[in-house]
Amino acid sequence: MAIYRRNYRPYSGALTPEWSRFLVLFRYFRRNLFRSKVQTGFFVLCFFYPIACLVIIYLAHSASFLAKLGIPSQLISIDNMFFFRFISVQGVLAFLMTAFAGPGLISPDLANGALPLYFCRPFSRAEYVLGKASVLGILLSEITWIPGVVLFFIQASFAGASWAWDNLWISGSLILGSLIWIIILSLLAMALSAWVKWRVVAGALLLAVMFFGAGFAQAINGVLRIDAGHFVDVAYLIGTVWIGLFNIEAHNAISAFQASVALVLYCSICLWLLMRKVRAYEVVQ
Amino acid sequence: MNERIVFEDVSKFYGEILGVNRVNLSIPPGITSLVGPNGSGKTTLMNLMAGLVKPSRGRIEVLGCTTDDPENLFKFVGYSTQFDAFPKGLTGFQFIYSYLCLSGMTRQDAERSTQQAIERVNMMDAASRKIAAYSKGMRQRIRLAQALAHKPRVIVLDEPLNGLDPLARTEMIALFRASAAQGCYVIISSHILHEVDVISDQVILLSNGYVVAEGQIQSVREEIQEHPTQILIRCDRPRELAAKLFEAEYAVEVSIHKDGRGLLMKTRDADRFYLAMNQLAMNGIQIESIAPADGDVLSVYEYLIGSEEVMR
Repeated sequence: MAIYRRNYRPYSGALTPEWSRFLVLFRYFRRNLFRSKVQTGFFVLCFFYPIACLVIIYLAHSASFLAKLGIPSQLISIDNMFFFRFISVQGVLAFLMTAFAGPGLISPDLANGALPLYFCRPFSRAEYVLGKASVLGILLSEITWIPGVVLFFIQASFAGASWAWDNLWISGSLILGSLIWIIILSLLAMALSAWVKWRVVAGALLLAVMFFGAGFAQAINGVLRIDAGHFVDVAYLIGTVWIGLFNIEAHNAISAFQASVALVLYCSICLWLLMRKVRAYEVVQ
Repeated sequence: MNERIVFEDVSKFYGEILGVNRVNLSIPPGITSLVGPNGSGKTTLMNLMAGLVKPSRGRIEVLGCTTDDPENLFKFVGYSTQFDAFPKGLTGFQFIYSYLCLSGMTRQDAERSTQQAIERVNMMDAASRKIAAYSKGMRQRIRLAQALAHKPRVIVLDEPLNGLDPLARTEMIALFRASAAQGCYVIISSHILHEVDVISDQVILLSNGYVVAEGQIQSVREEIQEHPTQILIRCDRPRELAAKLFEAEYAVEVSIHKDGRGLLMKTRDADRFYLAMNQLAMNGIQIESIAPADGDVLSVYEYLIGSEEVMR
């Protein structure tokens, strides 16, 4: 019979707040992400267009300089269309960035059977998904709405308080439009990463969802002579939502509301797929 | 607070697949080994204990805490899977440190605890190397360090001795004993039955998802009535002793040992035999030793689960 001295002492130090623990995943993944030179290079490339926009805003407020160049000042207009173009370009870059970084989010943990290691800590499945999503969320924010809002305030500082007040809704549209796109991309990338263990295949699938989705939508619309095919084209859906948010006049086959509902449905499906796969155990039959 | 790990009528089904069924257990401190063939439910039982899977039926309490409360549970439960699983690209130190941060330790505490855990498993030299470059034994040890790093009171280790060389195994067993001696609950599963026999305070035998037996191995053996107890007697005149034993009604079978320097006896009443041996010893037969020949885990396993399974 064993004799137990019972001199065990548990850890009694301070604990970090529960809500902050998902950031541990963010820290590690981001560090690994920027070890790749291609990834870092592409991240830098994502700031070229915002810098170009910055130059355009500066030029728009330098009438004398434009006159020297012989460019009529009314040619450059900083309005909702300018910021719509900004979000469209940065949105494409955000998608490409997701195709680089997204597939590596969950698939390595699944391929290496590392999920039980996370869940045998005070760390839930939701926190795990949040931690992984925060990697893309913060990364894509850095190239979409954050530079967009910075550009908005630079324009506001040049144009004055009345312009800023009249166009404040544009900054709201920038943030909301970007966040919707980031959520969709993150969930889509994570769901594919969870179901396809090979990183390259997951990346290819993400590209396929976008490009084949557009082709498939055209085929449905062409063959059946309807507009409902657009519902399988995620890029068209987000474009429709952005057009609505930035108050752009354009003829769209479906309304911004319908597009929003379809995107919510896609997000729900991705979330369901994720929760089915992100588990501490796998049943081997 | 309940000072035991308690399973009350616990069943776990993965769809139509049975994990474990109607398990009732009350596990005290010390080293408890889960023994059973592949697919018998050892890992499921460990996953249930660690809150990684929810029971389909029944209730589990670990030292008074339900397994639905991971924030509290994992303050005192440490777990190591049987799988050779690690997040990609981490060094041994980063591996332990990152999971301690996930547990909620501050960076300084996590660093200190990581260092201590690495020292406990004797991996100081390799801590800064990538886990991918470790040998199997080193990976096993760093996994153990990960399970022990936050100073858990309940340590659940799935196949912890797999892949370890004899020296590392001895070190690990010493580590388990030290933890058990401190009042910790060390739950291990193993296929290496002779080691289970040496290190365990109690065993839980599983087969096809059911608990076949539990308790101290000697008590379990005593309850197996259909197999007579085997006793090995070393003496100077085995044939003479065998003749005398044949006369006794408690003797079921007596055979001379292969080396001719002892005999193996089967009896259904070991107590009467031991009493009678005193008498026989006084009659001039010099008895060197008397020891149970089938009081170990291997024999109990063979009787309860079957020799085919032992071979598997």
